[in-house]
Parts: sequence; C-alpha cells; structure tokens
Amino acid sequence: MLIDAHAHCSGSPDRENPWEQDKLFLEAMDAVGIDVAVVSNLSTPRPATPEGFRKCNDDMLAALKEFRGRFWGYAYVNSGYSKEALADIVRCLEADEDCIGVKLYNEYTIDDPAVRPVIEKCIELDVPILEHAGHSHVNIAAQPNISDAAHISAVAREYPEAKIICGHIGGGGDWEWETKGLRDAGPNVTADISGSVTDEGLVEYAIETMGADRLLFACDMSVTAGVGKFMSAKMSSEDREKIASGNFLRLVGRGA
Amino acid sequence: MVFDANAYLGHWFARQIRHNTAAELVALMDENGIDKACVGSLSAVMYRNGQRGNEELSSEIAGYLDRLVPFGVINPAYMDWEYDLDWCANEMGAKGIRIYPQYHDYRVLDAPAHSLCEACTERGLPVTIVQRQVDYRQSHWMVDAPDLVLNDVAQLCADHPQTTFIIIEGLGFAGSRFVREADTLPANSSIEISRSSVFMGKEMKVLIEAIGPERVLFGSGIPMKYPGPALLKMKHVETTEENKQLIWGENLQRLLGL
Repeated sequence: MLIDAHAHCSGSPDRENPWEQDKLFLEAMDAVGIDVAVVSNLSTPRPATPEGFRKCNDDMLAALKEFRGRFWGYAYVNSGYSKEALADIVRCLEADEDCIGVKLYNEYTIDDPAVRPVIEKCIELDVPILEHAGHSHVNIAAQPNISDAAHISAVAREYPEAKIICGHIGGGGDWEWETKGLRDAGPNVTADISGSVTDEGLVEYAIETMGADRLLFACDMSVTAGVGKFMSAKMSSEDREKIASGNFLRLVGRGA
Repeated sequence: MVFDANAYLGHWFARQIRHNTAAELVALMDENGIDKACVGSLSAVMYRNGQRGNEELSSEIAGYLDRLVPFGVINPAYMDWEYDLDWCANEMGAKGIRIYPQYHDYRVLDAPAHSLCEACTERGLPVTIVQRQVDYRQSHWMVDAPDLVLNDVAQLCADHPQTTFIIIEGLGFAGSRFVREADTLPANSSIEISRSSVFMGKEMKVLIEAIGPERVLFGSGIPMKYPGPALLKMKHVETTEENKQLIWGENLQRLLGL
C-alpha cells in the first residue's frame, strides 16, 4: 500500500466543473500506484481568516466524500484565530472519519504561543499535525514565519506526546539541516519526504539520521518527484514498507 | 538506446555527491538502463579556473568513453577561455560545452555568452545552458545564483541561429518564448526533460507538441539527482512510442553526430 501523506485538493462543489484538478491528480495517483492521498485544501488568501479556512475545510470534506477511500483529509486552520480554529478542527474530525489530522501553514512558527491551543487540542484528540516546514538560507523574507526543524524540536520537547509531521523535507530548503534538526526530536516527530527536490541521497540520509520508523512517503503534488525518489532510494524492503504506508497507518491508528 | 543529456562527475561545493566517479556513475547507469550519458564536471563550475575540472573529468572517464560522452565547462568571462575551449574540443574530445552564467558572473545576454556561442559554432560544438544546477531555495549561504530566465535563453538562441543549443535542468517552458514563439524562433535548441511535468501541468506534452519530438531530450541529472523521476516521466508522458524512441536517445545521437 502506498499512502501519500502530504497532498492537496483544490476542488469545490460550488464550481461548474468542481473536481477538474482533483481528477487529474487521481489520474496521476492511479498511474504511479498511490492508493491514498491525505489532502488539505489551502485555496484561500493567506493568512487565512476563519471564513477562509472553514470554506477550505468544507471543500476538503466534500472531496473526501467525492473520492471516498482515495482521499483522507487534514483540517486546515490558522492558529491565530484560536477559538474558531479549535471549533473547526472538532467539526471536521466529527464530520468524516477519513479526516484524520490537522494541517498548519506558515502563519506562525509552530513554537509560537499562538499555536499551543491547537497542539493541545490535537494531543487531546490524538491526531497528527502536518506542519508546512523548511529551512532556506536565502530569500527568508518570503516566509518569515515558516517553521523548521528547530521550531518543531522545541515543541516536541515541550509536548513529547504531540504527533507532528515535518512537511516536505524535499520541498526546496536545506534537507540536511532539517533531518539533522529532527534527529533527537523524539519518536512522535516524523517527516515526509515530499517536494520537488530529488537530490540523490536525500531519502537515505533521512533514514540514516532519523530512522525509517519516522519517515513518511509523500509527494506534495510533485508526483513523479515523490514517487521517483522513493523508487530510486536504496533501503531494505522492511523500511520501504514502513515509509510507504506502515508508519502513517500507525500514526493515525489504522494499522498494526 | 537510452542516452542521458544531463549527467555529471566530480564534486559540488555545497553538498556531498555520491556515485561521482566514472565507475560508480556507469554502475548507476547500468542499474537504471541508461546506455550512454553526456557528462560535465561539477567541480569545474566553482573552480576559479574551471579548466582544471575539465582536466579531471578527462582523466576520470578515460576508460569509459564508450559510455560517457564528455562536455567541457567553459567560463567565457575567465582568462584564456578560448585555449580551454580548444583543449576541450581537441584533447578531451568534448562533444559539447556547458555554460553557467549564474555562477560565472555574467548574464545570459552579456558579451561573454555571445563570444562563447560564436566560438562554439566555429568549432561545431553544441552549447548547453543549465537553467539551474540546484533548487534556488536550497542555495548555499555564500552563493547567490538565481535560475536563468528562459526568455533570455530564448533570445540568445535567436541571436545565434547557426549555433546548436541544449537546454538542461529547465522548467517553465510552457509560458516562455520557447513555446509561445515556437513557430518563429529558430529551431536550433533542444530541451531536456528532467524537470518537466507529465501529470496535471503536462509541460512535457506541451513541449513535444510545440517544438516537435525531434527537439526533446531525455536527461536525468544523475548523480546529483535520483534517476527515478526522469524515468517515470518517460514512462508516463502522453506521446507515441515512436516519439519516445526519439526522446530516449535518437535525437541526442543525431545532435552530437554519434
């Protein structure tokens, strides 16, 4: 089984052709053998308002219904609106059992006090947080509040029971920085290998540094990059199964 | 015949590169069904005197000339570069030249690029332009080398209609002059696909339709990049088997006169 732990949906039942892009993504999933993609919808001006993230989540929930069994979901919230964010997390998780976690973007670094209520709610609900993350040495002003491994590790020290997924270590930042920074972040901090970067050795270095038990296969919509690097990376068959799906199923309580 | 237009040997200054000896690269090619590859020196990109990198490459591939086709890296803004160019052509047996304006302190349409194109045309050597060597977002803190602007590259191709160009590590062709002005620009450039999309955006299909399958080349970026993504693109691109054979290697063989 191959689970893409970091993906996005973009359709809406409000549109004339509601699922055009999502169907193209499904075609790609079928072509390369991805069984399930775990999606969030970020198609609102950011930083998102409560109205904006609720609409995203309405559309995400509609996508889960439309593509039942192929999409699982993350509820996207802006932690700056704490009361509304917590309410929408609960709403989404109660609305559909295939909504299995929470997606945070770059409105705040994950160690910002504004994010604590969301982290604590996710601990209470026992669901993972997929954190948009990366560490770049250039053009830092583009995303001043993006989280990196240091922010995530700081949260893991404070909340060791929080299940945090560091998003896209192949997403264009310094992946060696990120994986080194997560080395000692604890067993509940995982990383997904998604992103358009296909540097040879990226996956093997992540395994060497973090261990195969803490890595998740993902594409973040860069389908050939994600599948291609996973296909080329050298690892044992046991590690490949863990990264392909075993770790994620365990993370969301759906596997052994 | 699978012929890779985009392969390397040597060291990259910002991170470790594995499989970067000739023997290791050929083993990686064997593992992935790649018969031949055009190789350039990564070390030459950041050496002040890149010619030393070309010399290293020449020594390294001496026993592998049936599999590895040398390309010289030339900095036309550096002292005595025409000597280096002649050495690459005559001593190393280079079948083409790679240029890196973003690392060599000149712009695509500056005088050094024009001089290089003229010199390569005189010698019958294709000019390879590397739009980027690494994702800009993972740049080293000491080096600022933005991706080349494709419309500038298209203008350079237009300015030198007698020169043969190969564009590697490129992305964004669908919105560039290469596609928008495909009917009017000279057909003197070929484009390598390691970064082109085959799903959703489907840039590779757009390219094939706009410039013709005869001008599209397979390339992987090994050993800097995993080969898997490029191999997957070739498997899933929406085109005929006949076109795929051209792209896998027949085009590059023809282009290099091999």
